[in-house]
Parts: sequence; C-alpha cells; structure tokens
Amino acid sequence: MADTTLGTAAARPGLFLRNATGLVKAWSTFDAFVYSFWSVNLITLGLYGMSFAYFVPDGQVLTAVLITGVLVTFLVLAYAALVSVMPRTGGDYAWQSRVLGGGVGFVLAITGWWFTLWLWTPIYANILIVQFFEPLAYTVGLTGLAQFFATQWGVFVSCLIVLAFVSLVVTLGMETYARIQKICFWIGLVGLAVVCGLLLFASHADFQNAFNREATSLFGAGPNAYQATLDASTKGGFTGHEFTFFSLGPTLLLLPFLAFYLLWPNWGATLYGEVRGAKELRKPLQSMFWGLWVTVALVVLVLILTAKTIGWEFYNAANAAYWNPIYGVDQPAAPVPIWPYPVMFAGWLVNNHLFQAVLIAVMGLWFFGWAGTLFLSSTRVIFAAAFDRVLPSWAANISAKRRVPYGSLLLMVVPSLIVSALFAWNVFGFAAAYLDATAVIAITFLGTLVAAIILPWRRKDIYDASPIARYKILGLPMISVVGTVAAIFILFMVYEWATNATYGSNSVPSAIYLGATYLLAVVIYVAARIVRNRQGIDLSRIHHEIPVE
Amino acid sequence: MPKIFFATDLHGSEVCWKKFLNAARFYDADVLICGGDMTGKAIVPIVSENGHFSVALGGEQQTVPAEQVAEVEANIRRKGYYPLRMSVERLHELDSDPQKRAECFQEVMLEGVERWMNMAAEKLRSSGIRCFVCPGNDDEMEVDEVVRRSELVELGEGQIVDIDGFAMISTGWSNPTPWKTHREDSEEQLAERIESMASKIGDPSRAIFNLHCPPYKSGLDEAPAIDADLKLLHGGRALRPVGSTAVRAAIERHQPLLSLHGHIHESKGAVKIGKTLSINPGSAYEEGMLMGAIIQLDPKKGIKSYQLVNG
Repeated sequence: MADTTLGTAAARPGLFLRNATGLVKAWSTFDAFVYSFWSVNLITLGLYGMSFAYFVPDGQVLTAVLITGVLVTFLVLAYAALVSVMPRTGGDYAWQSRVLGGGVGFVLAITGWWFTLWLWTPIYANILIVQFFEPLAYTVGLTGLAQFFATQWGVFVSCLIVLAFVSLVVTLGMETYARIQKICFWIGLVGLAVVCGLLLFASHADFQNAFNREATSLFGAGPNAYQATLDASTKGGFTGHEFTFFSLGPTLLLLPFLAFYLLWPNWGATLYGEVRGAKELRKPLQSMFWGLWVTVALVVLVLILTAKTIGWEFYNAANAAYWNPIYGVDQPAAPVPIWPYPVMFAGWLVNNHLFQAVLIAVMGLWFFGWAGTLFLSSTRVIFAAAFDRVLPSWAANISAKRRVPYGSLLLMVVPSLIVSALFAWNVFGFAAAYLDATAVIAITFLGTLVAAIILPWRRKDIYDASPIARYKILGLPMISVVGTVAAIFILFMVYEWATNATYGSNSVPSAIYLGATYLLAVVIYVAARIVRNRQGIDLSRIHHEIPVE
Repeated sequence: MPKIFFATDLHGSEVCWKKFLNAARFYDADVLICGGDMTGKAIVPIVSENGHFSVALGGEQQTVPAEQVAEVEANIRRKGYYPLRMSVERLHELDSDPQKRAECFQEVMLEGVERWMNMAAEKLRSSGIRCFVCPGNDDEMEVDEVVRRSELVELGEGQIVDIDGFAMISTGWSNPTPWKTHREDSEEQLAERIESMASKIGDPSRAIFNLHCPPYKSGLDEAPAIDADLKLLHGGRALRPVGSTAVRAAIERHQPLLSLHGHIHESKGAVKIGKTLSINPGSAYEEGMLMGAIIQLDPKKGIKSYQLVNG
C-alpha cells in the first residue's frame, strides 16, 4: 500500500490496490538488462561483425561504434515508447497489425521474426566454428577435427549442433535457460576481464612474438608468420590505416556492418507483452538503453586494447588474409588458417596451451548464453499468427507432457536445415549474403517505426491514454520524433545494403532470396485470407476496433 | 445456429464492457459470454483541495482544473481503475484504515457492476441477444446478486443453461493463487464443483464448459514466474503453467465440444484437448482493447468456425 504521509501532494498515495490476481512486483531491471546485453553480444556477433570492417579500410571503427550507439538509442526510445503504450500485446507483429493493418503486420513480422531466422542459423553455426570449435580443437591438438569444421560438411554439422541446442533450450523453457544465461553472463565477464587484462599488460612486441610462436606450434607456420600475414593481405589488395585515421564518409559506411550486432537491444521487445511494469517508459527503456551502452563501452575498450597490443593494421590485415580467399580474392594463403579471434590472440600471450584452451572455452559461454534464444521470438510470432488463423492451428500445438511447441519448432528447424545446406555449400553464392539476415529484420523494425511515428494520429485513443502522451519534442509527439530519426538511420542502411557491393548483399542471389522471402509471406497471407473466407472467417476483422458507443 | 462472442477479464475497464456489449452487432453474434473478473483492481483518488484536484497518473502527481476532471475520470476508467473524488481527510482515512478501504472498494465495485448491468439492459433490450456473465475469482461474492437482479444479463455461476440446444456450465472459481482471492478452491473442491454440473450433461459433444481457470499445462495457462515475494523472475520472461489440474481432468473426462477460459491474461490461445477446443482469448483491458473469441456453433459439425479477435 502507498505512503501514508499526507504532507505534500507528491507524498500522498496515488493509488489504492486491492488483493487481486496478477498484481506483482516489477521485474528486476538488471534481469531485463542481461537479456538486452546478450542480444547485442559483443563477443559473438560483435567480433564477428567487426572482422568485416577491413572492407572499409578508410572508416574509423571507434567513431562508427559511437555513432551507431547514438542512432540505435533512438530506436530503443521508440520501442520503449511503444512498449509503454501497448505493453500487453507487445511486439512488432501486434504493433504493426494494430496500427498499419493485419496484412502489413503479418508480412513484415513473419519475414523478420520467422523466415530470416532460418538464415541466422548458419550464421550462428559459423560463429560457433570460428570462435569455439576451430580455435579450441587446434589448441588442444585435434587438428583433424579443426580442419573438418573448415569443410562444407563441417559447417553443416555445426548448423545441426546449433539447431539441436536451440531446440533443447525451447524444450527446457525460458526459466531454466535464464538461469543458464546468468551463469554464462558472470563467467563470460570474468573471461572478458582476463582477455582485457592480457591485452592491457602485454606490449605489441609481446604479441608479435607470441603470434609467431603459436603460428608455428599450432599450425606449423614458418618462422615469421606475423609478417607473412601482412604480406598475404597486401597481395590481396588490402591497405590499412592506423587506428586514429579518420574520414567521415567511409566511417558512416561502417554503420551497416555494425548493425549486425548493435541493432538488437530491442530484441526482447517482442516479449515485453508478458512483463508487468512495462507500462512505465522508464523500465523497458533502461533495460534496452544499458544493454546497448554497456556493450558500446566494452567495444570501445576492446578496440583500444586490440589496437594497442595486437595492432590495428595487423588485426585488419589478418581479417583480410582470412576472409579474402573465402570471397574469391586471389592471394597467398594466410599462415594461420583460421579466423583471427582476438580472444585466441590474447590467450597466446600466455605460453600455455591448457590456459589458452580454458580461455577459449570460457569465452564460448558468450555463445551458449546467447544462442539459445535464436528461435524464442520466432515461436511467439508463429503462435500469434496461428491464433489469428493466418497459419494452421497445428503451428501453435504444444506437447502435453513437456510443453514443447513442436509445431512452431518444425516450422523453424526444417527450413533452417535447407538454408543451412545452401549456406554451407555456398549454393548461388549464398554465403556472401549474410547481411540479408540483418537487413530483413531492420526492415521489420522500419515497419514498426512507421507505426510508432503515426501512432499519435492513427490510434489517437490508445496514444492519448498512454503515459507517453505528455512527452513532446518541439511540440511534436516524442514517439514520432525519435521514430523518425531511427527510421532515417535504417533507411540509410537499407539503401547501402541494396546498392553498395561492399556488403555482399546487393547481389542477384541476395535479391532472389529477399524477394522470395517477402513473396512467400504475401502468398501465405493471401492464401489464408481466401481459405479462411471460405470457412466463414474474415481475417480482416482481427484488428478492427469495436465501436465504444 | 448460435454464434457466440466470448470475452473475459475486463477488470473494470468500462471501454471494454461497452465494446463487449457492442460486439454482438459488430460480429453478428447471438450470444455474449463474459468469462469473469469484471471488477477493477485499483482506486485512483482524485483529491479535491483548494479549488483544484490532484491525481497521480503514470506515477506522477498532477494538478487538474475542475473542468478537466471528467476527462481524467474517463481515462482512469478506460484502464480499468475506479476514479474516486475525495477530500484530503477521506484520502487519509482510506490510507490508514484497511477496513474502510475494503468497504470503499466494495462500494465502487458494486456500483460499477450495477452501472454495467444497466448499460447492458439499454443496449440489448429487444435485440434478442442473450448475455451471460460468470464472475471470476477476483470478483467479490456480492457481485452475483447485482448480476442476478439485472434485467437482461444472466448469471452463469453454478448453472447449466441451454443455448440453442448446447448446454453450458459455468464457474468463476479457480485453483489457489498467491493472492488468496475471493473464489478459490483446492483442486479437489474445484473438481467437485465442476463435476456437480458436468455429470448432469447428457451429450458432451453439445456441451460448453465456461470455466474461468484454464486447464493445467494447456498453453492457455502460462503466467510469468514469480517468487514468494510476488516479484517477477528473470525479467518477466520465464513462464510457468499455473492452470487447474481439476479443470484439465474434467475436460479430459467429459470431452465437451468447447471450453472457454480466462484468468491468465498473457496466455491467449486456442488448443485441442482431445475432442475439445479450449480457448483463452487473453485480456488487454489496460489498453482498452477487447480481446475475444467468436465461435460459430453448428448442430452437425459442432464447431463450424472460431476466431480470436482484438476489438
């Protein structure tokens, strides 16, 4: 019950509550922060995404990270505002359906939260290979196993492992996984502290010696692998700059790469509908804001330490030496034939393979504490579409005993297997289009931002009754202003992904994949309208508001 | 053949109740069923002082001129709260005396239900539309009498009613909750309560079980996990099944054509339990949105079609 002091208006009780079902105390902001923090995963997505920054050698990564952080903050503000307006029915699907219409909501949500997650499966699998299987296997001397994961079958097997892990998490349920996430979070942070400590206290010369030593010891490379790596990248056409080199235009071109990991602090927003206390703007905003900015701060730290000890030019050269041959650039093979994982490099500063293996394994928790939620939002969106009768009812079936959503899992796992095979064997140059996975979700976000921008006029009743109605910027609704800024940011990236060859997503196979994705969603929706109409069910009325008077 | 519109857990939202009454015409339904938990959970004091009013909205104390109070009251009602004008002294009295507060709650809740019954009479008179209400576990027992007195709304609790050849049984009682609300039974007692009605039904393939509490582990009963202090765990994302084993057993044993549930607002869904279609349309009363289910019954097919809607 509220405060009993009646001295000032502010100290008076504003609400009397009676004992009623569902009145619970608010969730911990820290718990929600952990979820958001995992979504913009610095190690798995972050290091993987930033390893492509060498494609824009004139760009300044540190500045680009900060600019992305500021722009994504507008996205976070728009989403937090939407959560506080429509908390119970939250998520892109519901927001877009209620503001833009059921058809638009279905097509954008189903492509962003269902279809494109098929493509994220091989991306997750690739990250698991380059950050866990390969470095760990080489370090403990299982060279054959490490080399297997470099093959197409190896990539496919890793996809199967990811799918099995994700399915297991769905089966176990979020409560069990949330506990696992917390453990991974704390141990992973300790691992990151060790990595940062090693990079902080070692010099560049220490690293150079360690690199040459381990390149020979683990990979059988020649005596000066460090120089050979630089030479290989130079022959492939890479010319790097010092860490402090700055040029604004190229720096902005780094943003679409950084979106690969920094665009997702609102990942959990699809789930806020289940969260009490979400109606206050402050709670969801803080969770997403700190998830984003703690990550940005850690990225800045890791980048500075990488530049100091590993050397910025060498780090980018190593990335070029690794990725260029994969993308068909004619250059000598890199002496260290695996992905330049900064964690592995930091471990090499200690001349002990057991320590190095333990460090890689510990940092692997950044993967296992994060990857389990791959299909979580997908299953929710599939359920929502099934309850709306757009999908068949079996899509929302769950098993009676273990509550496994086997219908939606099937709809995720089977197509993911096909997409994984296309990715593993690089059919139609499919592997190069990995940023499509980011682009499709960004377009879904764009739809939600449009809904946010027009909400105060389109659904005036809901908006006026919400706690954010009083927030204005230059006399305009705050949600519309922040939504517009975030929408411009996403439009810029969509334009770059669509037109700039740097990102590998403006190719014909990419266009076919994207086109097929949206076409499939439209076909499903139109077919559902026709079939349901014959059954006497009018799908257009799902979100039609009943008149009040 | 009857077309049913079912909604539940309106929790005092007057906008939702008005939409509920209008839903019959909007969806061409013949029968309206409100599944329970009609009454609100909170009173928002609008304190009169020195010629103006003050009210806390969205956690912030605001001063409201007299001419805007009606608008503020409408906004509060929309969310399912009860606006109540009072003096500073009355505020003090309610804050310090739980008994007076409980009396005040009962007064505003019964007034609210009475007002809703009158609205129903005005809206549905001469329409031929039948309207059933079955108070839920959050509704005090006195609510039943107010519904019973109403001109057009039929009380469902404990009754077997005929809807164009389909028999409907109803109860708003639930299994135990951490909040110890007004209508809670042990699972055994709840089983007996349901069985006392279900056993009298002749043909289960033409039966409707209108049971406020959803069946256990059905997917219609997933609520955010809380600790002993009622604090949400894991950022509110961990869900637990909290439905009734007695309800599930009754559905599995009798296999009615349809079962209608509410209670767990977050757990919207429609699932098959054997031959039974079980529905929980969910609730978003705070947003003024009426989540409901339209079910078209057919004497031969049983359920001809169903649809969950957000009206």
